[in-house]
Amino acid sequence: MTTPAEAVQTFTDALARRDVDAAMAVTASRVSVTVHPFGLYEKDAAVLRSVLADLVRAFPDLMISVSRVITTGDVVTVLLKAEGTQADGYAGAINTEKHLDIDQAWRFVIADGSITEVTAYWCQAQLYRRLAVKRYDQIAIA
Amino acid sequence: MTGVIQHPRTAEAAAEVVAGFFDRYGAHDVEGMTDLCSMNADISYVPVELWGKQRVLRGDGKVRTVGKPLWAGLIASFPDLTVTVHTIAGNDEGDVVAQVDIGGTQQRPWGLIAPAGRHYREPHLFVFQVGTDLLIDSITAYWNDASISQQLGHQEVD
Repeated sequence: MTTPAEAVQTFTDALARRDVDAAMAVTASRVSVTVHPFGLYEKDAAVLRSVLADLVRAFPDLMISVSRVITTGDVVTVLLKAEGTQADGYAGAINTEKHLDIDQAWRFVIADGSITEVTAYWCQAQLYRRLAVKRYDQIAIA
Repeated sequence: MTGVIQHPRTAEAAAEVVAGFFDRYGAHDVEGMTDLCSMNADISYVPVELWGKQRVLRGDGKVRTVGKPLWAGLIASFPDLTVTVHTIAGNDEGDVVAQVDIGGTQQRPWGLIAPAGRHYREPHLFVFQVGTDLLIDSITAYWNDASISQQLGHQEVD
């Protein structure tokens, strides 16, 4: 039986390899997805797949460094840093080939070895600052 | 013989300490929040970074020197500040993770944001380490500062 920590490690290891399919393999089809920086609140694996795929596409040299994994029952919280060089538009920001490094927290709920809930926290102000965005109401103008 | 009765640090006890911390936060009791932290407790408010010409000030340091001014400043700028706890979960190692909404109506400047009487409410994730003495040894928090700025009518990415 896969433990909650093992399921999440499979997910984060896969993301670190930029392997979206492998990350989604441990995710329930009706996974609840909350990505606060994007204002995303959905219950659909396709939404999570799209979030991960966009990240990997925009930052093809993406590096994920996990600093802490905290297991509290069937909830696993991962603190990580995402780094990469922008190579395509991301979150509305045009590609200016800037380097991104951003600390994030991902909270997972696991049931029967599958991830049933994902909630992601990071600061979009930090992200836009690194991607040379100047105004929230003009994100595509660098 | 006299002595202090020490409760064991269980997951429940650690979570209770954190629940007490947020009760005091909601009551705007900064001293009370600090009293629940060890003397040398660390704080890392990850989104806090103020970019100057030569250096970046970050929200990292000690509860007593960085945390207290941040909490007191937030409460002063948002006098009706509310703290809504959604989940608190701990483990026997003293790790506690909490999902909390913080919000309020701006009455005084907050960072570079001038007051316009606007309201914000933002989800936060807090990660605590509670020591064996049931005092908080570290606080790390994540939230989206861009959302707060936009809710308050501030469109510049400072």
